[in-house]
Formats: sequence, C-alpha cells, structure tokens
Amino acid sequence: MIKFILRRFVVMIPQLIILSVLIFALAKAMPGDALTGQLASNPKMDAQTLHELKQKLGLLDPPYKQYLHWAGGLLHGDMGMSVIHQVPVTQLLAGRMENTLILSLAILILSYMIAIPLGIVGGRWTDSWADKMVVGYNYLTFATPLFIFALIMLFIFGFVLNWFPTSGSVDIRVEDGTFSYYMSKLNHLILPALSGAIVNTTVTIQYLRNEIIDTKIKDFVKTARAKGVNESKVYTQHILRNSFLPIAAFLGYEIVYLIGGSVFLETIYGYPGIGQLFIASISQRDFSVVTALVMISGLATLIGTLLSDIILSAVDPRIRIE
Amino acid sequence: MKKKNVVKLLTPVIAAGLLLSACNSSTGGTTKNSASNTKKEDISTFPMVVKNTKKPVSDGVLNFAQVSDTPFEGTLNYAFYQGQPDYEILQFFDEPLFSTNGDYEFTNDGAATYKMSNDNKTITVKIKDNVNWSDGKPVTAQDYEYSFLVIGNKDYTGVRYGDAIIQSIVGMKEYHEGKAQNISGIKIIDDKTLSITFASANPSLLTGLWPYAMPKHYLGDVPIKDLAKSDKIHKTPIGFGPFKIKKMVPGESVQFERNDDYYHGKPNLQGVVLKVVNPKVILQSLKKGEVDVADFPADQYPAAKGSKNFQFVGKIDLAYNYIGFKLGHWDAKKGVSVMDNPKFQDKNLRQAMGYALDEKSVGEKIYNGLRFPATSLIPPSFPTWSDPKANPVGYDPAKAKKLLDKAGYKDTDKDGLREDPNGKKFTINFLAMSGGDTAEPLARFYIQSWKNVGLDVKLVDGRLAEFNSFYKMVEEDDPKVDLFAGAWGTGTDVDPYGLYAKDASFNYSRFVSEKNEKLLAEGHSDKAFDKDFRKKTYSEWQKYMNDEMPVIPTLFRSAITGVNNRVTNFSVDPKDSSFVWSKVGVSSDTPDAQ
Repeated sequence: MIKFILRRFVVMIPQLIILSVLIFALAKAMPGDALTGQLASNPKMDAQTLHELKQKLGLLDPPYKQYLHWAGGLLHGDMGMSVIHQVPVTQLLAGRMENTLILSLAILILSYMIAIPLGIVGGRWTDSWADKMVVGYNYLTFATPLFIFALIMLFIFGFVLNWFPTSGSVDIRVEDGTFSYYMSKLNHLILPALSGAIVNTTVTIQYLRNEIIDTKIKDFVKTARAKGVNESKVYTQHILRNSFLPIAAFLGYEIVYLIGGSVFLETIYGYPGIGQLFIASISQRDFSVVTALVMISGLATLIGTLLSDIILSAVDPRIRIE
Repeated sequence: MKKKNVVKLLTPVIAAGLLLSACNSSTGGTTKNSASNTKKEDISTFPMVVKNTKKPVSDGVLNFAQVSDTPFEGTLNYAFYQGQPDYEILQFFDEPLFSTNGDYEFTNDGAATYKMSNDNKTITVKIKDNVNWSDGKPVTAQDYEYSFLVIGNKDYTGVRYGDAIIQSIVGMKEYHEGKAQNISGIKIIDDKTLSITFASANPSLLTGLWPYAMPKHYLGDVPIKDLAKSDKIHKTPIGFGPFKIKKMVPGESVQFERNDDYYHGKPNLQGVVLKVVNPKVILQSLKKGEVDVADFPADQYPAAKGSKNFQFVGKIDLAYNYIGFKLGHWDAKKGVSVMDNPKFQDKNLRQAMGYALDEKSVGEKIYNGLRFPATSLIPPSFPTWSDPKANPVGYDPAKAKKLLDKAGYKDTDKDGLREDPNGKKFTINFLAMSGGDTAEPLARFYIQSWKNVGLDVKLVDGRLAEFNSFYKMVEEDDPKVDLFAGAWGTGTDVDPYGLYAKDASFNYSRFVSEKNEKLLAEGHSDKAFDKDFRKKTYSEWQKYMNDEMPVIPTLFRSAITGVNNRVTNFSVDPKDSSFVWSKVGVSSDTPDAQ
C-alpha cells in the first residue's frame, strides 16, 4: 500500500510539469494582458509609459524566460504577483480560500444529508409514490441551472420572507470573534449553501438508488433473506454497506470541488471566493492568478484520485492495491 | 456623483459600452420605422439633488451599495488603485486637496488653496492649517510632494505616470530616469506650502493636476516598489476625508466611522457601511431598504420606475460611444499615427455611414431613452465645452445614399450592394465587442442600417470579439478591422488631446490632420486659460471632427443613482461633488422599505 502511494506520488511529478507547461502556454495564448483593459479606459497614458510598465511586469520577456521565472517561483512556493489586485497571489488565494472552503464544505455536508436519505428511500421502495417523488426531484434539480435557482432562492428567502441576509459572508457590524460573529457567518452561509446543495444531489441519489436496486436482487441478499434475517437488517447490514461503495469512491474527487468554488453562488450572494476570482482573473488576464489556480486544482485532482483509490481499497476488500 | 468627476479617475466603460438591455430581432430589420411605442425617459427630467426636506437625525448610519458582480480589490490608495470599486471606497476616507466647481476646475474651498503664476507655468499650493490625517498628523507640503515622488519613481508599479501633466513637471523626467533625487520643479516653501513648475502652461492643469497627497510619515518607510502590496494600503489605509475606516471584510464590505476632526466640519452621518451588491438584486435591495444609495443599472430602470421608498437622481455621464474608422496605423518607433489606409480616406463615405445610423431609435428602444444620440466628441456633461450645435450627423438615409453616389460608390452589378469607385466589390469589416444580451442585436442593427444604404458590412471573423481580443486588434491595427465600435470614459479633464492627437496611442482611428493638431494644441495652450477662447476652439474642433468624421459619435449616456427617501442632501451635481459625503444625512434611523 505504502509503495503504491509512493509510486503514485512519483508519477505526479512529470504530470505536474506537463500541466504547468500546458497551463502557461494556454494562458499566454489568450489575447491581451492585464494592462489591456485597464489602460483602454485610461486615456491619460502614453505609449512610452505603457511600454515601461509592461517591461517592469516582465510581459515583454520571451515566453520561455517568463515560464522559467514562473516555474522557478512555484518551486519556492511563490506564485507571483497579481497585477490586478497588486498583492502576492498566495496572499490573495489564502484570503479567498477560507470562504470557499467553508461554503463548499457546507454544500457537501448538506447535499449528503439530503441525498443519502432520498437515495435510500428511492432504492428500497422502488416505484412507490415516494420513489417517484425522489426521481421527480432528481430530474427537476438536475435540470435547474444553479444561477437561476440561486436567484430564486435569494428572492424568496432573502427578500420576500426576510429569513436570511442577502449578500456577503458576514455582517460587518458585529465584532470579530464573538458568538454573534459566528452566528452571523452561519446565517450568511445557510442560503448559498442550501442553494448549492439542493441542485448538487443528483449524482449521489442516482448512484445510491441504482446500487440499492441492483444489490437487492443479488444472491447474497437472497441468501440472507432465506436464512430469515429480518428485512431492516437486510438493508442496513447487507445492502446499504455495499451500495455506499461508489459514493465512497467519489469522495476523493470532492476535494477538487471543495477548493474550486462556485462562480454563480459567489457572484449572486456577494460571497467572495475562488470561483469568482478565477473567472474574473481570466477575463482580466491576470495570468499569475489563473495559472496558480489551475495548478492548484490540477494538484488537487491528482491527490483526489489517489485518495479515492485509497478509500475504495479500504472499504472494499475485493480491490487490492499492490 | 463623484463617480467620474475626479480628475484622471476614469472608469472602465468600455466593457459596459456595448452592454445593452433588450432589443428584439425585429428592430434589426425595420430601420426606417423609428416611431416607438415604448415610453422613453429623458435624463434632463431627472433631478440631480434628492428631495428630502426633513431634518437629518444625529448619528445616522448610511448603507452604501457597491453595485458590482466582483469583489473589490482593496488597493486603497489613489496612486495605485485600478478599478472603480476601489475608488468608491476611497472617496469616503480620503479626498483631493482641491475642491472643484461645475466644470470640474479647482476652487479654493477645499483642503488647499492655489495660485497660478503670471505666466501660468507655476502653481503655488497652500494646505490649510486644520487639515489632518486621520491619525492626527497634519497634512503637509511634503505629503503632496511625496505623492509625485512615488508616481514618478522608477520603482512605481501603478499606472498614473502616463499622464501628460505629471510628465510636464519640470525635472520629472530626470527623476523618473533616476538621474535626480528630487523633482526640481517641485519646491517646498514651508511645511504647508509648495510650488510646482511646469514646462508649458496648460489650462487642463486646473482640472487635471494630480490633486492627492499621500501620508509620508505613514508610508515613507515602505520601499516604493513594495507600496502597492503593503498592508498600509490594503488593510489600514489612512486619509483626511470625512470618514475613516473602522473595519473591512476583504472584497465584500467596509465599515466607516465619522472623522470628527474633518477639516470641513463634522460630517452629518456617524458612519457609512459599504457593501458589494450584485446588479441582479440591486432593485430588490433598494426596495427592501437594505441599501440607501446605489448606482443603478440603466437597463433595469423600467422595472424600478414608480418605486415608492426610493427616488432617482441622475446626470449625463462623462462618456460616449463611438464607431471608429481605421484610417492608418500606429508607428511605434516614432510614436505617431500614420494615416495610410486607403479604404476610408473619402470623408463622404465616412459621413454617409454616420447618416445611415438611427441612434435615436437605438437609444429609445434599447435604453428607454437613457442613452441618446451623441452630437459630438465632447459629452454634455461638460456643459461649458460641449457644443450641441456642432453640426451633428443625424439619421438621414437619403443623404447617406446621395453622399455615397457622389463619392462614386455605386451598385454597378445590381446586387443591391454598392461597389467601390473602381467597380470592385466593397466589403467593410466591422469589429464589435461582446458583452451583455444586446451587443449582438445592436451590431446587427448597425450592419442592417448600412445595408439599407447599400453598404456591405460584415462582422470581423463573423462574430463579436471578446473584450481583450477587441482591444488587441484595435490597438495593433489588425488589418482585418476596418471599422470598430468602442466607448470612452473621458474623465473630468475635457482635453481630448490624449484620444485624438497624432502622437496619442489611443487615437485608434489613426486620424491625422494639420487642423486637428492645431486645434488640439490650442485647446490646451497658454491662450486657452481664457475660457472664451478655449470654448471657441473646442467648438470648432467638435464641428471639424463631425465634418471629417474619423469616428462617428453614436450615443451619450445617463448615469442614475437610486437613493432611499430617508437620505438628505445627496447630490450628483458636479458642483456639489467636493463635500457631498460630509453633508449627506439620514432623516430617520431606519430606511424606508417597500
């Protein structure tokens, strides 16, 4: 097992190097740079100064030089400066990552809380009215675009019912670190998290329901029933344990999702996070931020797959990793 | 309000430039039918000052919405910030040394007074005694000098050095190149007084001179190359404005408290809470009374009309949209435009393309009248300089056809489209920017309008260009582009030199003519300190440009602000801009809600 993990880590190195070259090349292939939009709106700029600025930012160096500079920085944990935000990228990401992690974690927990019971109900009582409701819910949420759903949720629960605040991640008027500060954070979190969770359950419900339906007619279940094990025990001990396998395997990938953030939720709820930053940085050509974020999510994907494999082998003894 | 009336703080209007609201496909085909059923608005009917005669409560707190779909960056210094959102924060806690009048010119009511020398080349600035930074230290002449030392420094990372006025300070160049320790043209006379000498006299000084001091005692120990990223600018900036920052949640909200020591008298409000609100929900936020003041997206105005708990104030924006002809290219080595593209050298053709466009319909149908036909290249938000009688091109397709006939563009093969004077197929490639739902229909509308007078216009690459590609192609004079639709935010300095002169890289049409150079030069010459002379010069320039038409001015725009009924003394009138936030109050502790 340890050998396997180590081997995977060694393989990651060339993968990351290739990824970094690709990302860098693609980022540089985009037309324009961070100064394009900024200065087009600032007629008080002469060509000479513009040239000087680009030189200072290293935008005029040959691409390979820029790449080596950037990659060299990466090795030291230096992801460069954001031209737009004028702070080091690491500092910028650290600030946004907190919100994103809190929100994504809340979404993840909420969506499991919704999806697992619904999946079980749908799987166990297939074709009952309850199952039909679950399937209906699943199709509906699968077909609902998040950006519309989030707006509707905000309108109903934020503006009409006044249950939740309508923007931001915390009320600036409460004092940091107090009990009401954390309550305010929670209060600001519920609506975006719920919006994200409700439309995020499809895959889990579908997997779980199908798995249960499949497992329920398997021989070992029949054997258990034939031995006279009572029905609820058949489900909890035999069927469910096996049906959770694909979901467990999925857990590793969720890490990528955790740090990716959601551009729609963040934008609509004014909840500054990574997703938003990523999209804005692309359109503003803030290269160092874009490349840093893609590198991080690339790394997270690699680690996520590894984690999934490890989890799978841990819960399913039939899978052996040598 | 002060949105754009501070010198040099130019808003990125380009992206918004083509962001239109709703235009159904039928508009594209029926250019002749300009009769409109939609009720149109007229910005001149909007008040500039809110109506609320009630007495403000003491210690009220106002909620200010930053209407934006991105978090603010938080580079909180005038010399370094880049985006409008940061500017909106800055205006509460720091301000220019000079107050301004309705023409955005310096007056002597602000934190400093000024005097021009007889030859108009030296300005002497005296900072008033009671002006203190929010940490209690006085604002000094050294602080003002320091801001020039920062901007001119070779390690400076911001974008303000490109300004012609800053560069025209005597000795600035030597300092910028590292040959001098100080700027020889800036002399400290005493702790509160300094003089700045310029290489040439320019009336734009009085709107365009860099007016911001920087707290040297506070920032001075940070190396200039590290200033932009320092915590002293991102987390704990100080200023001498009516409020000071009490707390900040990065990217989403800022809490201000009153600066009791404010030199212009104690502000009415005890505090201001600024928070980012998405444009999609701003109407609901205003209705609910969650925010008191919000710059309102004009395309949502019809839905907001008739709201009871808040009112609208508005004015004409410091911006205009235009369609430019590519007449040449930029010679980067010499730093000049060269007008060498033969395609549009005939001004009859250019004029004809202007006469073919029904901007009135565009303004009414797409923008509910909140954008309206542009009459020249100086918007009416410069009331002294804008000349509405500068022979603007109106919508006149018959005249357009006549002009084209005259210029020799005739339909020789009878396919409904005109050929060029040599009888060859004549196709024009039009570059328009994507953004918003109506960018595409608007571009189609223009193309159809030109087709109606017999011109074959096609979108470059058959589609709209994304923001960065658009500017890359326009800046680099991509040969694929014959014609492009853009927009300019003018800032508060009327001088169009930086956008249309031969040696201005932003002269995207690359139009060059002797008369243009002469008028532009005269417009900011010593003689132009005489307002009448300057007015006459710019009037002549506007007429000249409308006649030569290197760019077609298309639309002027309105800027409207939604303000809760409880707010007092709020104004978007440029002449009120200097002290508006210290005067604003609220007449009740809770906002009006609906």
